[in-house]
Amino acid sequence: MLAKMYGIYLMLRVALGRLLKLSLMILTCVAICSLAGCDIESLGMLNPKGIVAFEERKILFDTLALMLIVVLPVIVMSITFVYHYKQSHRIRDYKPRWSHSYFLESLWWGIPCAIIVVLAIITWKETHRLDPYQRLAGHPQKPMLVQAIALPWKWLFIYPEQGIATVNYLQIPVGEQVEYWITADNVAMSAFFIPQLGSQIYAMTGMRTRLHLLANEVGIYEGLNTQYNGEGFSDMNFKVEVVTPQQFKAWVEKIKKSPLLLNDANYQILLKPSINEKPAFYSNVKKDFFDNVVQLYLHTYGTIHPRQTNVTHGKE
Amino acid sequence: MLKNLLLGNLSVEAIPFDAPIILGADLFMGMIFFGVLFSITFYKKWSYIWHEWVTSVDHKKIGIMYLILSFVMLLRGFSDAILMRSQQAVAAGHSAGFLPPEHYDQIFSAHGVIMIFFVAMPFMFGLINIALPLQIGARDVAYPYLNSLSFWLTFVGAMLCNASLVLGRFAETGWLAYPTLSELYYSPGVGVDYYIWSLQIAGVGTTLGGINFIATIFRMRCPGMTFFKMPIFTWSVLCAMILVALAFPVLTATLALLTLDRVFGMHFFTDFAGGNNMMYINLIWAWGHPEVYILILPAFGIFSEVVATFSQKRLFGYTTMVWAMAIITFLSFVVWVHHFFTMGAGADVNAFFGIATMVIAVPTGVKVFNWLFTMYKGRIILDTPMLWVSAFFTTFAIGGMTGVMLAIPPVDFQLHNSLFLVAHFHNVIIGGVLFGYFAGAIYWFPKMFGFKLDEKWGKWSFYFWVIGFYVAFMPLYVLGLNGGMRRLNHYENTLYQPYFIIAAIGMVLIFIGIIMQIIQLFVSIKNRAALRDKTGDPWNGRTLEWSVSSPPPIYNFATVPTVSVIDQLWENKEQHQQESKVKLNLHSEYTPIHMPKNTAMGFIIAMFAGLTGFAIIWHMWIPGIVGFVGVLVSVIARTFETKIDYYIDAETVKKTELNYIKGII
Amino acid sequence: MQRETHVGVHDHHAEADRTDVFGFWLYIMTDCILFGCLFTTFLVLNQPMEHTLQLKNYIHLPDVLVETFFLLASNFTFCLASLSIYKEKLGSVVWWLFLSFLLGAGFLYIEVNEFIHFAKEGFRWDYSAQASSFFTLVGTHGLHVTFGLLWILTMIVQLSFFKLNQTMKRRMTYLGLFWNFLDIVWIFVFTIVYLMGAM
Repeated sequence: MLAKMYGIYLMLRVALGRLLKLSLMILTCVAICSLAGCDIESLGMLNPKGIVAFEERKILFDTLALMLIVVLPVIVMSITFVYHYKQSHRIRDYKPRWSHSYFLESLWWGIPCAIIVVLAIITWKETHRLDPYQRLAGHPQKPMLVQAIALPWKWLFIYPEQGIATVNYLQIPVGEQVEYWITADNVAMSAFFIPQLGSQIYAMTGMRTRLHLLANEVGIYEGLNTQYNGEGFSDMNFKVEVVTPQQFKAWVEKIKKSPLLLNDANYQILLKPSINEKPAFYSNVKKDFFDNVVQLYLHTYGTIHPRQTNVTHGKE
Repeated sequence: MLKNLLLGNLSVEAIPFDAPIILGADLFMGMIFFGVLFSITFYKKWSYIWHEWVTSVDHKKIGIMYLILSFVMLLRGFSDAILMRSQQAVAAGHSAGFLPPEHYDQIFSAHGVIMIFFVAMPFMFGLINIALPLQIGARDVAYPYLNSLSFWLTFVGAMLCNASLVLGRFAETGWLAYPTLSELYYSPGVGVDYYIWSLQIAGVGTTLGGINFIATIFRMRCPGMTFFKMPIFTWSVLCAMILVALAFPVLTATLALLTLDRVFGMHFFTDFAGGNNMMYINLIWAWGHPEVYILILPAFGIFSEVVATFSQKRLFGYTTMVWAMAIITFLSFVVWVHHFFTMGAGADVNAFFGIATMVIAVPTGVKVFNWLFTMYKGRIILDTPMLWVSAFFTTFAIGGMTGVMLAIPPVDFQLHNSLFLVAHFHNVIIGGVLFGYFAGAIYWFPKMFGFKLDEKWGKWSFYFWVIGFYVAFMPLYVLGLNGGMRRLNHYENTLYQPYFIIAAIGMVLIFIGIIMQIIQLFVSIKNRAALRDKTGDPWNGRTLEWSVSSPPPIYNFATVPTVSVIDQLWENKEQHQQESKVKLNLHSEYTPIHMPKNTAMGFIIAMFAGLTGFAIIWHMWIPGIVGFVGVLVSVIARTFETKIDYYIDAETVKKTELNYIKGII
Repeated sequence: MQRETHVGVHDHHAEADRTDVFGFWLYIMTDCILFGCLFTTFLVLNQPMEHTLQLKNYIHLPDVLVETFFLLASNFTFCLASLSIYKEKLGSVVWWLFLSFLLGAGFLYIEVNEFIHFAKEGFRWDYSAQASSFFTLVGTHGLHVTFGLLWILTMIVQLSFFKLNQTMKRRMTYLGLFWNFLDIVWIFVFTIVYLMGAM
């Protein structure tokens, strides 16, 4: 199929011309979109499973529509003008000194300004409504807390209210708002992102960022790191399983019985750089574990990195 | 101990024997390098190269050298692109591809650095050097010696980047080297240091270039050329150079702070001890955003010149165009946070910067409409430069549109660092900057070399480039919307693979386009007699550079022209038809012309600077001190030089001018 | 055929001088931006945690007063050197330049001593972000002063070779601009770093 498309491209290229170029573009887009159509569901914001992602998709399409008001005429004019006014077409309408028009100028200053004003209002409203640090609109009650720590090339998720922790696996109840506290430890700046649920936000050592998400469909989704942070970046993925609240409770009970404890020794192992960690489950997580990780960076002064003794990063 | 001070950490192990692909690239580079050296020796051209090119302070020659550097580095930057696209086309599911992360990560970092700093910037400075002094009726730039120094500093920066391929490694941090990844703890090797020094040295060259061109435009315009009678390209250069002078010092400061962190263990951007990596990100983007406007504004200027010339019509809305560029220049300083909405600045800050970003779309859109209506009721000659312009309209419109989409923080929260972002910025940089510079290169080629480029190969390369661009980058938009991230070495989801394969096909098409551009060059040189530009005005141009011979004499204008309107040359031609050229140039009285002498200092200072950078990278302290002292001594030595200029006598000028006129008649 | 001549037009030189000085102002502007970044960085990173070594405990304002005096005096003597240029008195020019050099060197001496003292007490540039930004901001100014001193020495040497010709006058203009600029930056440094820091 690809080969056939390529063959068509080759043939069409023989006939030069601006209109042909446009039709090739359209062909490309159509082909790609049809490929998208014949594939299984998308894994990003086009297939939202959480209310934040849903809102974000809506804004995307609204903006696209508003911008097309300007962009489509530009594309059409750029093709038709070039064709119509070609010297070889011998148009008699040639005005070499005409270079000014108050009417036209006010049109193309005015309409884009108006569109930008609309977009600005949308931007202000939606940026505040979808602020990751704020609780989601319509959900003012205190959400469940999950603390995420980006580690060299895996994610540690702590459930402080339940006293359990997981690596590279997140399970959350459907329809309930979850607040995430995010930091990093012994790894360069990373970012926490579950595309189908909502926004991404950076994870930085010695700092705490916050994010609110709500999943409204049961299923298994992709979680990933979007900020390149070294060798294992491509493998810093985690599965997000959204289940019913009862299933969630049962799962928490199961993990509480896990023989693996999140003590200092086990955490030291996690701090070592590694790639492609299989999901692991920890019980007996100390209170303030997350806060201690953040504070460690804030209280270390001098020349020795707080994690210096643990690991060697990168290559000499 | 002495060996340590001399050689530092440099050893045979610095050569990447364990990476066959890199080693292959090294051998290839070595073959070309030594091949060039051998040819120059064989044809006994060392004296010519040294006296006519290396020591030249002539803006026209320096411009050509910039263009050569840019094109050579384009080949290296594009090789990086070939490797990346190929890797991503195959590394789906369980496959790890053929490039391990430690190599792949250097490739995408180098790709970005090379394309911006050693392809786009030199391309821009090359075109500005060639066209600007001629456009304003000047005989040279304000500071010819600094001009030479700027070029050689940029050259040395590029060579350091190339040296990282042979000795050591390049940064594995992305093209902006964010801390904390670029700090010593997370990147202990020499890679980031290579990055720092090649950018730092080239950056100083660029800053000096900015100062040079601002002074040239302010102080060296010919009589009668007030600001609002300058060619629009000159305006675009003025705006871009103001941005250079204001933004590049920020880059210098930021890279210096990172250097201090890495060399002296300071804590500007470290994890701990009060360091704040967010500070770097703010600073680097306070430079980085103006940087992309620095690149696009001269391209806008070129589009204005080409559209007017090839539509045979006056540019629509000259004054509006100037004010639009001024607004863009100013606004480019208040939008930088849009590069890191996801860093958690809060809704107020994010919303402000998002709205400011969108506002830039207004003057940009105004410019597009002005260009379109320049074509309206014109008589369009669809030669290759005009083809590039017409492709630009659609391509840049789409790129700008996706930019406005990304400017909305909640949307950016989904699309930041995704392939959608990658597609957007390639869309505007290739569609805007590169298409513009290609148009400018073809437009001014006859002025530089005296003959036009072959049209047929020009058109073929155009089509392959444009179609290749769309095939390569449209799939990336789709991937980005579907959760596909940038800088991935491999990916689990095999559903992405068909898109990466299409993108790789697009890359092949672009590659063919580049090959065709090389063929175009060779064919044009072969057929140069037939393509000769005898009059100096092959396109029926409107601005002053077309009123001198191709190539111009070393002094540009025998008599400094006087102007009274915009597009003075066009006005003259309209009124006097054929005679205008002759009238403009034929004078009975010629006076001696004051010219700057060639100097080796620019080259020498740059070489010492390169030595210093290389030495600091490898902790070779003695060579480092030698290099640094060498720079100081050379700078001071130059100030003792008194014989820095000469006069071309009136007889020579007269003979040159008569030759030119004979060629036209 | 091209040969060197000394046929010149005096106007041409005056024009060229104004262009050259314009360019030097542009350079000063870029240096302003550079210092601006360092000041911004200092202000942002100037937040040490409690129970750590803090800048305010090390600042010794009397030293700052003395070094400020030296730098201001150095500027004053340079202005006197510039006046002597107008009066075409080469000997005075060299003398005032030499004084400027000594006073500037005095400034540097006190500053370097301050740095060494801080470091000995434990407040080193690699201790904390506040320390790093202090040493870098003040140190960059000091580095500029060092280059200025080297420039002054070079000028003294060149004046004996070239006397007070057009080129030397123009170069003294540059140096004057540079030296005054450093003084202005110092005023910001001692206000923002030392005076505000000591409180």
